[in-house]
Amino acid sequence: MRRRTLASDALPAWSFMAPGLLVIGVFVLFPILYSIPLALTNYSVLGETDFVGLDNFVKAFKDDSFIASLRNSMTYVIVVPVLQLLSILMAILVNSRIPGIKAFRAAYYIPVVTSMVAVALMWNWLLSQNGLVNYILLELGIIHEKIGWLSTSSTALYVLMFITLWKGLGYYMMLYLAGLQAIPTDLYEAAIVDGASAAQRVRHITIPLLRPYVFFCSLISLMGAIRVFDEMFVLTNGGPGNATLTSSLYIYQEGITKLNYGYASALGLIVSVIVGVVSIVVFRVNQKGGVNPY
Amino acid sequence: MNQPSMGRSVQSLERESRRSRRLRRIVTLSVGYVLLLLLALFMMGPFLWLLSVSLMPGKNVFAFPPPIFPTFVKLTNYTEVWGFINFPKYIGNTLIITALGLALNLALSLTTAYPLAKMRFKGRSLVFAILVSTMIIPSSTALVVHYLTIGWFGLIGSYIGVVLPSAVSVFNIFLMRQTFMGVPDDIRDSGKIDGASEVRIFLRLMVPMVKPGIAVILLLEFMAYWNNFLWPIVVLDDPGKYPLAAALTYLNGQFAYNFGWIAAGTILSVLPIILVFLFTQRYYMEGISGAVKG
Repeated sequence: MRRRTLASDALPAWSFMAPGLLVIGVFVLFPILYSIPLALTNYSVLGETDFVGLDNFVKAFKDDSFIASLRNSMTYVIVVPVLQLLSILMAILVNSRIPGIKAFRAAYYIPVVTSMVAVALMWNWLLSQNGLVNYILLELGIIHEKIGWLSTSSTALYVLMFITLWKGLGYYMMLYLAGLQAIPTDLYEAAIVDGASAAQRVRHITIPLLRPYVFFCSLISLMGAIRVFDEMFVLTNGGPGNATLTSSLYIYQEGITKLNYGYASALGLIVSVIVGVVSIVVFRVNQKGGVNPY
Repeated sequence: MNQPSMGRSVQSLERESRRSRRLRRIVTLSVGYVLLLLLALFMMGPFLWLLSVSLMPGKNVFAFPPPIFPTFVKLTNYTEVWGFINFPKYIGNTLIITALGLALNLALSLTTAYPLAKMRFKGRSLVFAILVSTMIIPSSTALVVHYLTIGWFGLIGSYIGVVLPSAVSVFNIFLMRQTFMGVPDDIRDSGKIDGASEVRIFLRLMVPMVKPGIAVILLLEFMAYWNNFLWPIVVLDDPGKYPLAAALTYLNGQFAYNFGWIAAGTILSVLPIILVFLFTQRYYMEGISGAVKG
């Protein structure tokens, strides 16, 4: 009986899946596989294409812009713990049933659904030399002269992190809120009966049960941070100098702007290996705690 | 002799503790609301400020002190930006791209997920494993390879070229598979007993059962396509074909001097997405929190 259904389902199954799998094959699998041979050539819009072996990789590690871009991408990871911690605090704040709370949740989520172009435009004006942020900080006496937040090398990358933070808070807040609401309330009630303080309840109930959410959110946030692109693409284009050049932006500039497909593929492979290693490490660290996200 | 006074003191103590509890509740509640309001100001402030700038034609956002609250209200920025830069055309472009993308995503994720959830055939676990692995292996060069592929297909400059690489995502397939798995097998079996064809069973019996999954995909993809700017900029060679988000970056370059226009254009471009979000919040939140469980 089972064997019969097995045989009879194969044809319809593959026919149903064919178009979808074709698209996945061409646009998800093929790019991963094709970038390997591509990285070993000097394929670009100019000149003949030759096999160049590992030249692209040797060139990459001597390329100051690429090294700078890797450093910036790694530095960007600083945003992850801050973003996660603040999102958890926000989730705790909005996890109540007081009147109007849904409106607040929605308000915090609006930056998430807004396009990066619009977000960039607003913050670009707000953060400019003569912008509102400088005005407020001057009035409050926090700074004593105007700062061009995005045009100063030492501040630009951190200001972009701030924008990432501002735009991402609502998203992670909602994920953590789902986590908080999945915790059974009788656990808290039992703890209150046993005389546990509020701090003890957070320490022994909330934090352990929120752990899978913290892991999942930190992982996607970490991947996003290492591969950050939109913020610098719309706001700084990597400048001033290479101050906000990240690896994803550099790959874009090499591959799409300068049409050096081979070199861009090699850079992409290096970044993929780094991201892959980082995610394996994160998985391993987490497995020690016995949490499995999939 | 002491009895009544003791009784009274216990009563008054109780009353006092009730009063102090109520007082404490009022204090926590007000602290909570103050925090919520400050946070709302932080998250919504930039939008409200942009709205205020857009309502004051001729105001310079870089004046010192910068304009914060609207001192007068005029809609000329909106009427001008609507006509001068042909806003309806860009909205039309966005709608075409969004509709195409939604239709493809829906059709392909439904047809690919259905056999994975409901049919028995050889290779099912292999397909599943490959799909999972593509989610773990990051592709940093996808953009470059997509550009080459779309070029080989001769689709540069076309809307099909814009939507094809994102016509179906592994994430959507998993989401849809999860929804299909919740549909009882009896439904499919009863269709088979009645002699209905596989296509008919799928369209008439199965698809109506997974409406919640369809709603989530439609929403998430609507937001993604509406806000997408990078890939359209890469593929479309004619800025006249740009969707709204991409056009905004282009206009920002062209009309950088006209703050009011840009502010009004930005408000107009984010308004639809914010409205859609506000009206569909419930489904949307289920969708993103489903991502953690998935």
